[in-house]
Amino acid sequence: MSTLLTDLLKRPSGESLVPDLRPLQLTPKIDPITQSVLAEDAVLRQLVDGLGSPLNIVLPEALDTNVEAFRAVYRQHRLRGRVYFAHKANRSVALVRHLAADAEAGIDVASLAELQAALSAGFAPERIVATGPKNREFLWLAALSGIIVNADSLDELSELAAVIAARRLPRARIMVRFSEFASHGVQLVSRRSRFGVPFAQLAEALDRVDKHANQLDLVGVSYHLDTIGLPEKAVALEGCLAALDACRRRGGTAWSLDIGGGFGVNYLADGREWERYTSELAQAVLGRRAPMTWNGHGYGLRNEAGTLRGSLGLYPAYRPISGPGYLDQLLRAAAPGQRRPLGTLLLDSMYDLDIEPGRALLDQCGLVLARVLEVRGGEDGGANPDHGDQRETLVRLDLNARDISLEEHGVLMDPVVISAAPPGPIEAYLLGNLCLESDLITRRKVVLSRRPRPGDLLAFVNTAGYFMDFSATRALHQPIARKVALFQGGDGWSWCLDEHYWPVHERAEAA
Amino acid sequence: MRFDDMTEAIGNTPLVRIDPAVHGLINIDLYAKMELLNPFGSLKDRAAWQMARPLLAGAADRGDTVVELSSGNTAKALAMLAGMHGLKFKSVTNRMKVPEIKDLLLLLGAEIDELPGQAECLDPTDTEDPLSRMHRTLTSNGSGYVHTDQYFNELNVEAHLHGTGPEIVKDLDGRAPDYFIACVGTAGSSTGVARALRQHDPDVRVLGLVAAKSDFIPGIRTIDEVHEVGLFDPGVYDTIETITSDDAIDGLLTLVRRCGTPAGPTGGGAFQGAVRHLAAIDATLTERRTAVFIVCDRVESYLSYLRERRPTLFGRPARRNDTRSLTDDEVAAAPTIDVNEAERWSGLIVDLRNPHAFQALHLDGSINIVDELFAELLHGGLPFSRRQPVLLVCPVGEKSARYAALLTRMGHPSVRSLEGGIIAWRDAGAPLVRD
Repeated sequence: MSTLLTDLLKRPSGESLVPDLRPLQLTPKIDPITQSVLAEDAVLRQLVDGLGSPLNIVLPEALDTNVEAFRAVYRQHRLRGRVYFAHKANRSVALVRHLAADAEAGIDVASLAELQAALSAGFAPERIVATGPKNREFLWLAALSGIIVNADSLDELSELAAVIAARRLPRARIMVRFSEFASHGVQLVSRRSRFGVPFAQLAEALDRVDKHANQLDLVGVSYHLDTIGLPEKAVALEGCLAALDACRRRGGTAWSLDIGGGFGVNYLADGREWERYTSELAQAVLGRRAPMTWNGHGYGLRNEAGTLRGSLGLYPAYRPISGPGYLDQLLRAAAPGQRRPLGTLLLDSMYDLDIEPGRALLDQCGLVLARVLEVRGGEDGGANPDHGDQRETLVRLDLNARDISLEEHGVLMDPVVISAAPPGPIEAYLLGNLCLESDLITRRKVVLSRRPRPGDLLAFVNTAGYFMDFSATRALHQPIARKVALFQGGDGWSWCLDEHYWPVHERAEAA
Repeated sequence: MRFDDMTEAIGNTPLVRIDPAVHGLINIDLYAKMELLNPFGSLKDRAAWQMARPLLAGAADRGDTVVELSSGNTAKALAMLAGMHGLKFKSVTNRMKVPEIKDLLLLLGAEIDELPGQAECLDPTDTEDPLSRMHRTLTSNGSGYVHTDQYFNELNVEAHLHGTGPEIVKDLDGRAPDYFIACVGTAGSSTGVARALRQHDPDVRVLGLVAAKSDFIPGIRTIDEVHEVGLFDPGVYDTIETITSDDAIDGLLTLVRRCGTPAGPTGGGAFQGAVRHLAAIDATLTERRTAVFIVCDRVESYLSYLRERRPTLFGRPARRNDTRSLTDDEVAAAPTIDVNEAERWSGLIVDLRNPHAFQALHLDGSINIVDELFAELLHGGLPFSRRQPVLLVCPVGEKSARYAALLTRMGHPSVRSLEGGIIAWRDAGAPLVRD
């Protein structure tokens, strides 16, 4: 059989399943709030003119919608507990201050400076939980200010108790984070984690807490698994229920179960684009279509003797069930041991459910703007495929891959072009402003709605969670993006520098 | 037929003609290769035996474990074969989505390792996926594992090249069929059978069926996933078409209800895909043709899969005394008492929460009947005397109100629901005990 593959792979309709050459868009999901910001193109231009490129924009008011959506899931399951924002997802003080104004919302801090930021934004101590490994200074300020300390290890429990005892501080409310939960029947392999106390040491952990009963008051237990897999989380949640039961058998009064974050975000508008893109990527890696990525990068896939090996190292950017929907699904899932829904088990035992979403709370809460410096190649529209590389459009931007760490996090989506240029989609590679071969904003060839001109702006939407300032550096003395908060003023959007934002601006007072 | 062991019963399955009244093709005789009649229940018995047999010598003495990446029939067959030869079997999978198969494998003594889901926060330096890591463990020397490697093992193909394929030709009186239709899983059976048939007649047309990308049909790979299969060679197939889980279930129902064939979804998909593909050709034919598809396995393992996708197939008559039959008014009128009154309650207290929660903390003197059991009891009628006052307790007073309304409707005069549930009780500082 030597027939060409293109003749072989036919759908019943006759539609070909192999290389079609339409542009492979990955259109971002743009909610009305983001859309209304993009509509203010004159304001956006002025902001970049005045404050430089790149420029980060945060939308504190978009937080309210997301918090409310999580609370709706709580109400549906009749559960109580706190939604803690994982601060690490964005350094913006505007977002933190805005959330502090919501009397019920909490914040999860993972460093001494994040704790300072939370306290100075006005969060009361009972609304702050400290997670992750902590140094002595962090433990001291946590104990002094009376926040909840989620202990990452047994040694940390002892160190905290020692700090409290030595300085005669009040008894601290603590949680213990567990990991490496055992599953029954089916052995569920979990990714190795460097955080938390192995579940096998549960008794030891409770002993340790009892030993320091004058310093430590156990109010709950927690887990956080870095996975999108529901079954692993179901095992962990049921494990934590067992831990709380064990604590209760010893006469303890812990009422809270903190299930961490990892609820995810849906970045793309159209699942079919995502499916088509990933199918075509596999074809490209197998050499059955023209490369779609810089130097034929496979995003984890590789071609071994005509067979696709490896696994796709990309965030599943199209996730119809994410954020609050994912929480709902988890609570509806049956506990693998007791075979009763996890949400019902929590409720039966009267436990509070705490969550620590980062990315999911920041859905649609911000964007990154970058100025176009140069547009090169592709004028002939790539009419001559033999000249592949020379004909490719390269767009150089005044920002680098650290400023918008989409590639680092494996999230693929097209930027929005803010330009007066005539519409007509083009495919282009986006180059950064570092004098470094590897400084590509994304190794994927993106699709732009029009060919931009130097001076135009590209907007990377929905990038508040982890992509905005997590990795930014001053390499080559390039500036780190300024951050601006946009909020609803009298008519339309008003703005201020991130550090000048307090949630008592005009409209809020008028309301 | 006298055999020394069950492996001798593998293969030599019948080729059965499908009644034209069922498929409606005029010029094509459609035959089903009944692989569901293999002793362990599927087509995979052949490949499993073919792949495992050469590895068995010495494996039992070394105490090795047979291991395979499988979420279904291959695992089932290997578990049985391993058991027969005193070996352990481990199945590694991230695709085990059908609970019955999971339970069946555990029953057969298999160990199941499920691979973790993707990381939420991607680590780009982690270039090794869990599957590759697993592969490396399996292939390192002295690992104690015997890996059958069904997606890359040529013996998988040979089982069908020397077994399934020639059997079809023999049963068609020495002729290859004009069309061969197979679902693509490991690609072992389609490749092996196609090769055997073409050795006989190079003009055999082969149709491969794959699942639509976002769909899930147990045993069939999607158009993307087939590229991860070492045995998959697009050159084997004249045509590759996609089928949906709906198609597969439609076909399954036809085979089950009209053809005396208790086929699983793969067989159903093959039938449906075959008829759809052949119908177009049939209209243009002037002479008789034959076509063969494979019925891979049996329906019983897929009841939950079918229940999830076609709940109407399992419609049961409404049961009496069901809380779902309550009106909103009945629920609103459910007799309740508040925490104060409840503290003075002298009758029976029934706690509807789960046993763990009950044992951890409950109202003194209460008894625990978890809501699912309580619902079952009520289907049968009143479970306690009308003269026995009963207070129902649940977490927030919602479920207990429904059951109180139902018991009231059933004629119980003194049933009450604790308003706000045990959470309100706790919040009011009323006593909770542990026995």
